[in-house]
Amino acid sequence: MTRFFQGAIEAFRRRRVPAATATPPGLAARPEQTALLRAIETLGSELDLDRVLPQLVDQLAELLRADTADYYVYEPSRRTLRCTVVHGLPGELVGFEVDAGTTLASEAIAAGRPVVTTSPPVPHPAYGSLAGAIVAPLVGAEGASGVLGVGRRQGEFTAEDADFLGAFASLAELAIRNAETFAERSRQERVQRGFYRIASVLGQPLSLAATLDAIAQAATEALGGSSAAVLMPRAGVLELVGSHELPDDLTGALANGLPDSAKALAAAAAARRILAASSVADDDRFDPEWRALAARAGAASLLAAPVESPRQGTGGLVLVFFDEPRELTDDDLELAIHLADATGGALERSELFEAERTSRALAQQLARTGSLLATELDPAAVLDEVVQQAPALLGAEACTIRLLAGDELVVQSGAGPGTDGALAARSPSTGRLLGDIVQSRAPIAIDDVAVDNRYAAADPVLAEGYRAFLGVPLIGPERTVHGVLAVYSQQPRAWLPEEIEALSALATNTSAALSNAELYQSVALEKERSFAILANIADGIVAVDRQGHVVLWNAAAELITGIPQADALGRTPLQVLGRTLESDGDSPTGDRLLAIQRGGEDAWLSITEAIMRDPAGIVSGRIFAFRDISADRFVEQMKSDFVSTVSHELRTPLTSIYGFAETLLRQDVQFGDEERETFLRYIASEAERLTGIVDALLNVARLDTGDLHVNISPVDVRPVVSEVVSSADDGGANGHRFVVELPTEPLRAQADPDKLRQIVAQLVDNAVKYSPGGGTVTIAARRKSETVEFSVADEGMGIPQAEQQRIFRKFYRADSPTDGEESRSGTGLGLFIAQGLVTAMGGRIWVESAEGRGSSFAFELPAARARL
Amino acid sequence: MTRVLVIDDEAPIRLLCRVNLEAEGMEVLEAPDGPKGLEQARAAEPDVILLDVMMPGLDGWQVAEQLLEDDKTSSIPIVFLTARAEFRDRARGLDLGGIDYVTKPFNPLELAPLVEDMLKRVGRGERDELRGEKLAELRALMRDE
Repeated sequence: MTRFFQGAIEAFRRRRVPAATATPPGLAARPEQTALLRAIETLGSELDLDRVLPQLVDQLAELLRADTADYYVYEPSRRTLRCTVVHGLPGELVGFEVDAGTTLASEAIAAGRPVVTTSPPVPHPAYGSLAGAIVAPLVGAEGASGVLGVGRRQGEFTAEDADFLGAFASLAELAIRNAETFAERSRQERVQRGFYRIASVLGQPLSLAATLDAIAQAATEALGGSSAAVLMPRAGVLELVGSHELPDDLTGALANGLPDSAKALAAAAAARRILAASSVADDDRFDPEWRALAARAGAASLLAAPVESPRQGTGGLVLVFFDEPRELTDDDLELAIHLADATGGALERSELFEAERTSRALAQQLARTGSLLATELDPAAVLDEVVQQAPALLGAEACTIRLLAGDELVVQSGAGPGTDGALAARSPSTGRLLGDIVQSRAPIAIDDVAVDNRYAAADPVLAEGYRAFLGVPLIGPERTVHGVLAVYSQQPRAWLPEEIEALSALATNTSAALSNAELYQSVALEKERSFAILANIADGIVAVDRQGHVVLWNAAAELITGIPQADALGRTPLQVLGRTLESDGDSPTGDRLLAIQRGGEDAWLSITEAIMRDPAGIVSGRIFAFRDISADRFVEQMKSDFVSTVSHELRTPLTSIYGFAETLLRQDVQFGDEERETFLRYIASEAERLTGIVDALLNVARLDTGDLHVNISPVDVRPVVSEVVSSADDGGANGHRFVVELPTEPLRAQADPDKLRQIVAQLVDNAVKYSPGGGTVTIAARRKSETVEFSVADEGMGIPQAEQQRIFRKFYRADSPTDGEESRSGTGLGLFIAQGLVTAMGGRIWVESAEGRGSSFAFELPAARARL
Repeated sequence: MTRVLVIDDEAPIRLLCRVNLEAEGMEVLEAPDGPKGLEQARAAEPDVILLDVMMPGLDGWQVAEQLLEDDKTSSIPIVFLTARAEFRDRARGLDLGGIDYVTKPFNPLELAPLVEDMLKRVGRGERDELRGEKLAELRALMRDE
């Protein structure tokens, strides 16, 4: 191309001869020479052909005092003359063509010099009134290129006039050639700029949008147009994808694709043809609508060059608009073809660039989404996250996730307009579209669902007005399809392979995250369940890790050991309980008994142990289960104590009875009467004591079997109480003072007097026994509304709150007032029997006590009605 | 004259011991509880102590421990009077340092010969042998049970 330009410029230089030095011979003698030269000089300095030609005919008419002047271009191939510019003639004559053979011009061309006539022919009515005329040929290096003509309505032209016209024609030919060459050079420069522009566009990687706009600009500049548009096929229509200086009318008209009124352009694109329309306004290849649009937009001419869409193999167009009517030359067309080629290359490059950029953006987006999903542990949140991310990933407007439930796909989550209504919508897993994805395990991309109305029926979201659909299967860890991830676009669009891949990748991420989250959920649920079980189980459960640190300490363990979980976790049982829990050696030994300290007391645990081993057989943890058998042991201990107590209680009087009997039987010693009496009295009283103990045991046995008989009658309780107190009162020998509070009137209760005596005696006995430091023992009986209430209060050691419930139990014995486990005395049956007797008589017994401040035992019996 | 200290909270049993031991020509001292017994033991330095186990306050085991810890009384032979039938209770007395035990109820006529025999053997320096025999006896009884 460069050579072509250089050649043209050379030719121009050779031919552009300055008017002052190029005066043809034979003109020097003419008086008008100066005027002629000046006129031609003016013409020669004008480089715009459009202005050169009118000046040419105006000057000519003035110089020859002609009424008319005109200039016709000669086309030798067609042997026609076409009127190009006129002076003194109707403007409509411009464009008029005439057969060269029938005119004066052909004579002049053939002769190669001016021809004068006094009866000019009339090829057009405008010439009808002329009285004389001269026609001179414009002859250049390649022969005649046109003719100049002058005419007068009155008078004739002379031979000198003809010579002058001939000289003028020679100079005019040069001026026209000059201007034409300049115009050509300008065009070439413009074309060159266009090529440079295209080359520079090609030279740098631009985004697709920038490339398309640059192509439009290059086309405008290269072809000297006023604006340009790039249209590329998308989903069946040519869509406006790039423009330069495009008028709003055209932009608006092309916004929804190339309208039907310009079908010719679509056809040209499809056939990869160039389409040139010099005058759009009256070009019947276009519908009137398009022609009117072009007129409105000021597009007089247009040139459409086909471009190849590198990706899809379909044809697009570069449309160049010209605001003035424009004869489109072969050069223009050649340039358009070059432009089309260049555009194809630029598009290819930028699409590659774009694809890479898209891929990178998709990859980054996927990575972000992936890391987000990897940390998400709630399956529902995974779905929500994905449906939010997917449309952004692909520049779509909506997304849904369907999961397989049986043989149906159910919408689990959705984002974007119209998806709310689709939630929980079901469709068969063997149906069209969605079912196809499940069955084929492959993505399905639909650029425009409008091509088949069954699509909208297959997916309710599509029925919300979406045009493009891309669905990919969700494939789980076991390679089974468990759902469909779909995105929706409101505009028809071509889904790029990398977009499909990206969505597939997202689907893979989703499946992984979903199974991850589901796994976590089931583990969490399992854990929760385990914790619930452990928390509610009655056994204490303690687990330790490899290092022996407590990792589990359930509620029962807290209760049994009295140590809260927070104090136990992370420490060893030795630190927590003051002793180890594990058995000696490496194998559990079944149930073991273990004593731990709980609030200063021994608590007895029955403990079992499980040992966890890692695959290498190393102990990796232990689980202990234990229950508190302190209560069982307490009962056992009480029973055992009872046996030895009863043994002691029975053996002591027996020792006296047996011993004194043996002593009395001694032959070798003579005892005095007094001594003998003492011995015998001991035998009697100890025998009585023995009876009392046996009675107590019998009472217990009866209470146990429900065999206790009471003879209830109205009894005045005062003498009974007094009698008990007087037999207990040792006159202050042990530092006790007895106070009796009784009413003066008879106080009658429904009672068995023997049992009542027994109860009061027991309470008084206890009061004395448990106030070793002496003090006042107050015995009272008083009438309440329906009952008679008895109370025995001491100032002794009192009973701890925790013990107060237990004192009425069988075998319970309080620690005796002095230290030492073995110093307890009594059978542990007194209060148990007293309670049994009170209950048998229809009353109840209770205690109020504070440790160190004495106890007050009270019981009530039904009051006897008066006068019974 | 052999001096015997009887420590027991039961008055009839103290009397029983006194009349029967005095009948054999021994001197008998009485104490109704542990503290008084310790006091008497230190003051009167008896030849032998009959010690009841189950007493309120200081029990027999504790009294024995204190007697054996005190240089003044540690050499006095102790015979436990116990109503506790379990073997472990009897063994405990011997473990603590008692020489012998008598289980209630007992024949008071046998007390004096027991004391005399024991004092004889202790006098011969057979104190530990005596304890060993009693322990062996107990073990045999426990085995039989």
